[in-house]
Amino acid sequence: MRATRRLRSAAVALAAAATIALAGCGITIPSDVDGTLDRATDGVLEVGITPNPPHVDTSGEQPTGTEIALVTSFAGSIGASVAWTEGSEQSLVQLLEIGELDLVVGGFTEQTPWSDRVAVTRAYAEAAQPDGSTSGLVMLAPMGENALLSALERHLDAETEGQS
Amino acid sequence: MSRIGGRELPEEVELALRKARILEWAVLAYTACTITVVALVMGNSQAMQTAWVEDILSTIPQIAFLIALFVIRRPPSAKHPYGYHRAMGVGHLVAGVALLAVGANLCFEAVSGLVKQEHPPIGTMQLFGVTIWQGWAMVAVMALIVIGPLIYGRMKMKLAKQLNNKLLYADADMAQADWTTNAGSIIGVLGIGMGIWWLDGAAALFISVGILWDGVKNTRASVLDLMDMRATTYDQSEPDPVHERVDALLRRRRWVHDAASRIRDQGQALHVDAYVVPKRRGAKVADVDRAISDIVALDWRVQDVSITVVAELDLPEQQEEERERRGGER
Repeated sequence: MRATRRLRSAAVALAAAATIALAGCGITIPSDVDGTLDRATDGVLEVGITPNPPHVDTSGEQPTGTEIALVTSFAGSIGASVAWTEGSEQSLVQLLEIGELDLVVGGFTEQTPWSDRVAVTRAYAEAAQPDGSTSGLVMLAPMGENALLSALERHLDAETEGQS
Repeated sequence: MSRIGGRELPEEVELALRKARILEWAVLAYTACTITVVALVMGNSQAMQTAWVEDILSTIPQIAFLIALFVIRRPPSAKHPYGYHRAMGVGHLVAGVALLAVGANLCFEAVSGLVKQEHPPIGTMQLFGVTIWQGWAMVAVMALIVIGPLIYGRMKMKLAKQLNNKLLYADADMAQADWTTNAGSIIGVLGIGMGIWWLDGAAALFISVGILWDGVKNTRASVLDLMDMRATTYDQSEPDPVHERVDALLRRRRWVHDAASRIRDQGQALHVDAYVVPKRRGAKVADVDRAISDIVALDWRVQDVSITVVAELDLPEQQEEERERRGGER
């Protein structure tokens, strides 16, 4: 039993050293598993939208709404242009899962049932719900793309500063 | 207060027991704090969630010890003629099975997360108006709370050895290994940070295997004692030296031809079954009575002694020796 304990300790120490060494080698933390933020920077940000006025309105020729404005300014901050894809929540979440989309908006709240399939941002504002309660508004990002998620959250913090 | 079962305790033992009780309460309070803090930052990291569950689980042996300590102080009654000493073993078994079940469940979740290739998301959090990556908060918390168990683990180990208490020993042993859990979860979180998604699941698996292993060890140790294995030292590696001392004490008597004993550990108290072959003159009741009180005086843990006067020793020990002797002749 003593021997296993020592072995276990040694393994942990080794792994910790290796991790810290790797972390020190100029890798930015947090990073994306699939490099989404790097790809979108100075390129195209693929955004899925589902109609949910006033957050997202797709009745006109171009999508409008509060979240459309937030996403456009985020894309601008990383030098990206936005390509919009309209669809149902289910189809957009599936596209997000297979990496076809980088972001999905449509007035989602913290209570979104998709939270175990996608990464949910921190709530950036409060909004009244149809049942009379209020809930935090969120956007959906791909699982594990933590650089993108963090950059988006920082941008939303900056955009909504002083409003709430 | 200064009794276990019906027996008064020596001062230093009473002091050690009081220390153990205070220490367990203090550690419970400390663990309540760490559970709260970890819950605030743990987010979606599976390694962090597993470490958090381990924190919660670590309170079970402590609570079991405190309850058992209260129960074993009761004196024996007509309904419970052997006293309540087994409460310690029962508490140990409950703690062991809880660790085993939850550890197995966490192992399964870690493996299924790896198989399904779940990429854990960790975003940012706002701390005092500053936006930071939540992973840094997790690393900081885990690095900070790694120190506690290293200190109280040693203190518990000292008391466990002094009291020869297996439940306390198991508890101390787990506390001393707790730093690997913290280190593991830090590796998992940094792995997520670097975009190495599987490192989190691997760390979670490592931590849950540790819990499972603790469960196996504790269940095994408690079952062995509840099955009346001979009394052993606190880590069950060797027979308790009290065996030899009891046998030697009896064999030295002028009226004794030969003697042997069976001793079982009832948790915090020992039950001695001694067998004595008297010399030809026979044994007097007064001789046997004196021998009993001398054995009780031998060690504070000895609670119950019965001496049986027999014509020939026929304990498993003698039977095994006999068998070996015959095997050697052949």
